[in-house]
Amino acid sequence: MRQGYRSDYQREEHVILMNIFQELQYKNIQYETRRHFLKKCSSGLGAIALGSLLGCDPFSTTKASNNIVTEAGPMAPRFPHFAAKAKRIIYLHMAGSPSQLELFDYKPELVKLDGKDCPASLLEGKRFAFIEGVPKMLGPQATFKPYGESGIMLSNRLPHFSTVVDDVAIIKTMHTDQFNHAPAQLLVQTGSPRLGRPSMGSWVTYGLGSENDNLPGFMVLVSGGNTPDAGKSAWGSGFLPTIYQGVQCRSEGDPVLYVSDPEGINRDLRRKTLDAINKINEKEYHAMGDPEIMTRISQYEMAFRMQTSVPDVMDISKEPEYIHQLYGTAPGQASFANNCLLARRLVERGVRFVQLFDWGWDSHGTDKSTALEDGFHEKCRQIDQPMSALIKDLKQRGLLEETLIVWGGEFGRTPMQENRNGKEMPFKGRDHHTEAFSVWMAGGGVKPGTSYGETDEIGYYGVKDRVHIHDLQATILHLLGMDHEKLTYHFQGRDFRLTDVEGKVVKGVLA
Amino acid sequence: MPGFSRKKKIFLFLMIGVVTLILTYGVLHVLSQENQKVDFNTQIRPILNKKCITCHGGVKRSSEFSLLFRTDALSPNESGKRAIVPGDPKASEMIRRIRHHDPEERMPPEGDPLPKEEIELLTRWIEQGASWEDHWAYVKPEPVAVPDISSTWGHNSIDPFVLQKLEENDLQPSPQADKATLLRRVSLDLTGLPPTREDLQNFLNDDSPQAYEKVVDRLLASPHYGERWAAMWMDLARYADSKGYEKDDQRSIWQYRDWLIKAFNEDKPFDQFTMEQLAGDLLPNPTDDQVLATAFHRNTMNNDEGGTDDEEFRVAAIIDRVNTTWSVWQGTTMACVQCHSHPYDPIRHEDYYKSLAFFNNTADEDVPSESPVLKTFTAEADKQKLEQMKNWVIQQTASADEKLEKAQDFVNLVRITEPKIHPHSFDQIEKGSLADNKYLFVEPGGYARLPDIPLQGEDHLFVSYSAGRSTGRVEIRMDSLSGKRLGVWQVQQKDNFEIAVIPIQPQSGRHDLFLIFKDPGQKGAVCHIEWMLLHETLPGKNQPGYADIERKFYSLLNTNEAITTPVMIEKEPAYQRKTHVFERGNWMVSGEEVQPGIPQAWNDLPEGAPLNRLGMAQWLVSKDNPLTARVTVNRFWAQLFGTGIVETIEDFGTQGAKPSHPELLDWLAQQFMYEHRWSTKKLLKQMVMSATYQQSSKTTPSLLEIDPDNRWLARGPRIRLDAEQVRDQALAVSGLLSDKMYGPSVMPPQPAGIWQVVYSGLEWKTSEGEDQNRRALYTYWRRTSPYPSMIAFDSPSREFCVTQRINTNTPLQALVTLNDTVYIAAAQALAQRMLQEHPNQVEAQIKAGYQMAMVQEIADEKLADLQLLYTEALAHFNKNPEAVKALTGQQDKQLAALTVVANAIMNLDEFVTKA
Repeated sequence: MRQGYRSDYQREEHVILMNIFQELQYKNIQYETRRHFLKKCSSGLGAIALGSLLGCDPFSTTKASNNIVTEAGPMAPRFPHFAAKAKRIIYLHMAGSPSQLELFDYKPELVKLDGKDCPASLLEGKRFAFIEGVPKMLGPQATFKPYGESGIMLSNRLPHFSTVVDDVAIIKTMHTDQFNHAPAQLLVQTGSPRLGRPSMGSWVTYGLGSENDNLPGFMVLVSGGNTPDAGKSAWGSGFLPTIYQGVQCRSEGDPVLYVSDPEGINRDLRRKTLDAINKINEKEYHAMGDPEIMTRISQYEMAFRMQTSVPDVMDISKEPEYIHQLYGTAPGQASFANNCLLARRLVERGVRFVQLFDWGWDSHGTDKSTALEDGFHEKCRQIDQPMSALIKDLKQRGLLEETLIVWGGEFGRTPMQENRNGKEMPFKGRDHHTEAFSVWMAGGGVKPGTSYGETDEIGYYGVKDRVHIHDLQATILHLLGMDHEKLTYHFQGRDFRLTDVEGKVVKGVLA
Repeated sequence: MPGFSRKKKIFLFLMIGVVTLILTYGVLHVLSQENQKVDFNTQIRPILNKKCITCHGGVKRSSEFSLLFRTDALSPNESGKRAIVPGDPKASEMIRRIRHHDPEERMPPEGDPLPKEEIELLTRWIEQGASWEDHWAYVKPEPVAVPDISSTWGHNSIDPFVLQKLEENDLQPSPQADKATLLRRVSLDLTGLPPTREDLQNFLNDDSPQAYEKVVDRLLASPHYGERWAAMWMDLARYADSKGYEKDDQRSIWQYRDWLIKAFNEDKPFDQFTMEQLAGDLLPNPTDDQVLATAFHRNTMNNDEGGTDDEEFRVAAIIDRVNTTWSVWQGTTMACVQCHSHPYDPIRHEDYYKSLAFFNNTADEDVPSESPVLKTFTAEADKQKLEQMKNWVIQQTASADEKLEKAQDFVNLVRITEPKIHPHSFDQIEKGSLADNKYLFVEPGGYARLPDIPLQGEDHLFVSYSAGRSTGRVEIRMDSLSGKRLGVWQVQQKDNFEIAVIPIQPQSGRHDLFLIFKDPGQKGAVCHIEWMLLHETLPGKNQPGYADIERKFYSLLNTNEAITTPVMIEKEPAYQRKTHVFERGNWMVSGEEVQPGIPQAWNDLPEGAPLNRLGMAQWLVSKDNPLTARVTVNRFWAQLFGTGIVETIEDFGTQGAKPSHPELLDWLAQQFMYEHRWSTKKLLKQMVMSATYQQSSKTTPSLLEIDPDNRWLARGPRIRLDAEQVRDQALAVSGLLSDKMYGPSVMPPQPAGIWQVVYSGLEWKTSEGEDQNRRALYTYWRRTSPYPSMIAFDSPSREFCVTQRINTNTPLQALVTLNDTVYIAAAQALAQRMLQEHPNQVEAQIKAGYQMAMVQEIADEKLADLQLLYTEALAHFNKNPEAVKALTGQQDKQLAALTVVANAIMNLDEFVTKA
């Protein structure tokens, strides 16, 4: 716990303080009521998974001291429901939703149909965001061939990714309920299309706690020039305590809000400030006896450590050259590549949930930047090398086995060419599509070299092994050792969960 | 007894005696138990809720057997057997199954069989007739006597209730907190702001027995009282300055926040407060304020994203209003019932839609303009025009009875402009479409149909439209494309939406209306239509001065110089919607039609109450309603004591927590309704005047062991300040806080780059001058990106009603108060005050700084810690002179060192805590 300290801080006083601190922290563990957390423990993971193990009686809502071990704090690492390989997760969310038909879902039949009117049967009773009247079919704007030992078909837009295809499982039959970005992103990230539910990262840190004292358990990195359409709610904690909300790392200004000392105050003076604060707080604790004061002391200590560890982990300039070449990173930029490297650095330090958002995948074809024949190429180029490097790098460090990587958008794109307002578009693009899209997973517990599910001949609809968003979420939680039906939180009179009332683990992608 | 020693004999006799005693006791015990009436609520309901209701409740009704209502529980289930036959346990399938030896047959199906005692209880309960009782919270509170306890402790009638429980738990009350602590506590509680040192001096100097009461009265009369309680209510109202969802665009609704502050300050009785917010528009001749109050339920989100279905999000807003109303006033979790009968509480699926029917006829329809909005004209000329128009209508209306009503009708037409017909109501569109699903555009030669429009003699069509050219025209025909032509309008080029007024031939009955768009030789939309409205025009058409007044009327319709606030307006009878049950909660699948109504378990609507929102509001504040008063006093109690008497302030249902002091809760509820006549100030005064409230919050390990959460109130509250108070206190003690009240929300400094939301031109423009330092409740609240330092301190993002904030203690909070420029500026301002008061005396400076912040004297040992920090800081600034300017912008080392000390003071646990 002390490793972040430089020796010049080890002044005598400080050592004495820390001894008292440790002693009191022990007391604090005994009494740290964290009242709400405790009570929710009765419906949360704490009760169900650990009830028998650690004595958290699901029906007891008072005696705090019965729960010494579970109540080590809301962020203390906790056992999962069952043993699992994946301990951490990196979620790469491509905001805007990349076209599966140009990346993973090879549809030779669609080549033949290119330019023909879409059959009426596909349009009946469907709602699209922009398509009107009868659109034309649009053939794949990429070429495909098999790669790796698995022989999985991949498009020529992903040359780097083709070298790691044997490490991933691609699900081709994802489907969702939402065809607009914000609600669809929320459905992926929170299990509900409406604002207000906890995000997946919040659920996971609520369930498993954090493995690192010096960094938040759930961190968020954004690239592509914009935050996702769903805004910060995509990593909000909803009705869970705010301690579980994602902490956004920023590429400009403070890497985490308020993490820098004020100008004119250096680390040494800040340490001394904290010493004074802590000493007075301890006196207050002795006078008042409120264990919450001891929690505050430990949180101030963590804040102090974060002030060093956050800038430290965010500084990729000291990475060796071969790593920069592997990822295609350039220090100082706000890029998906940098974020992939940061993701590795974060999971390496035990951050539980690393959430990346990359904006700019909404390939409608309304202008060059959203054209499948133009802007889309550039977006693919931006992610292909770094996401492949992430897999390789984690693998070479022995971290891939215990890290789960998930890649995907919030929905898919139509096999039809978009005809906004019933008109032909200047560029080639596809509309939002709920019935079929692709997601890939790699790492901890995932069956490598897998292609799961099949769509129909034009990639419109999953015809075999369809996977709903809630199924994906159930699978992710399963890979992390949690039962999605048991990871619950009591709010407004009922137990809520990430998967709402749905969700089945996709067994076909498990190793 | 040969062979037994005397000792053994005695032992044997004793044993026999003991055994006899035990046997006798056992028989007597059983006999007495058999005669004892089983109590459903305390003995039976807990068993049913814990062991049975998950499968036999409102969601799952396994084997068609449900224990939610007595009638259901007694009817034959799927197998034709009756689970419960009152008076006859042997015939009751339930008893057979819970006693069954075969685990396949036995209930509950998983886990151990029920314990003997529970089986015995259930058997006896059925034997005694299986009587059913309502859950305590659904029975209206009856008068309660204050416990008669002989003790000198206590200031008012709250205290005997508390003392009774303390004694039951072998606890004693704590001594009264010292005056300084008490003053800080009650000031923060009642006004959200700390006291000043002058307040403290006055309090210390006042030895009269009424000294504390005087303080309380002063605080209750302070304008800051309204700000503090409005801030609390804003979480319930899910108040925000933006609409939510993806676009999360600007919303102007701050007049509602101002209404709240005023309502609390004038101590508007809670029944009135309730009725105005839920149904102010339906009160007779409502004032502007009463209409603005209805913005409470216009704080629901509004989805402006292109392509979204307005009806879907209108319904989402109505559902939110139902859930919020039940949560705020009834502590009842209605959200479950949207999809199925309540799993635990006696509310049936259709009850949800009966509740929804009360709310389903407001005019709002999830359109970008958020109409209906109430316009308040800001230009003097416009105010005059409105007055002139009103007078004209009064003059020109022949019937004396109708004069005022008609004048108000035209004022409403100008200020609220309803009933609008929005483009999503067009059911046929040829050669055109809805742009963004919001605005109708049709090309020349096309048409659009509005089905089934009620025509009631209106002679004008009001259209809000824009157009790229002035060559087109639009014909309005009735019943068919070639039907009777009611009117025609020449399109004028307009870059922005403007309202045009087109004469039409008055008609009656319900008809389809056809809009036929013509512009020969042109391509592209003839115009874009935002909405249409049918109305008569001003009376007195042939009178002198008409042209002038008509011009003024039209200009008022189109002026933008107005404050607008979304409000609730009931649809006119001809436009009203029907309400259907949504099957499994899905708005696209309608079930049977329902009328407004109240679940059976509750009191009936008061006699004569209308079947609309006003009726529902009257029902909520009827003295027969079992929950409104209880839920409300509990909410205020929780604000002061940290925990409610019912801990789950959002859930008073059968799965909620039981009240720690049930009699006190009912007594307070009765006091609130009958004694205080719904006066919030009187209620709060009663609470803070109690000895219970005034106890010291010191605790001990043994007390923590017995009562960690302070449910028995053997000590005073010790709670971290809420997000608003953290900010307000820092600004207040540093002297920066502006006392300006009301008005549009402000944008105090926040780190750059926080607002980065797709598709929006909105930006955070830091306010200037004193607006940077307003109280937190005036801070601009954007749902997708709320003010970051407030979020760190657990304020919700306000998408939905949040009845209880979860109090966390996190490192991110430490980073805010240590490093945020707002808090550094506050520290520097506090340092400046320290320096001004004692230019040369470091010790005095620090003492004063602590006293300004904490409004009490600093303890010597704490002073020593801060003095050491000062010395260290000064050494740092001596060594690094450039750091002085970097921190303070000035060259004063002393100021810089004191800023560091002030920063430390403002990060102390005791500073961010109400103790």
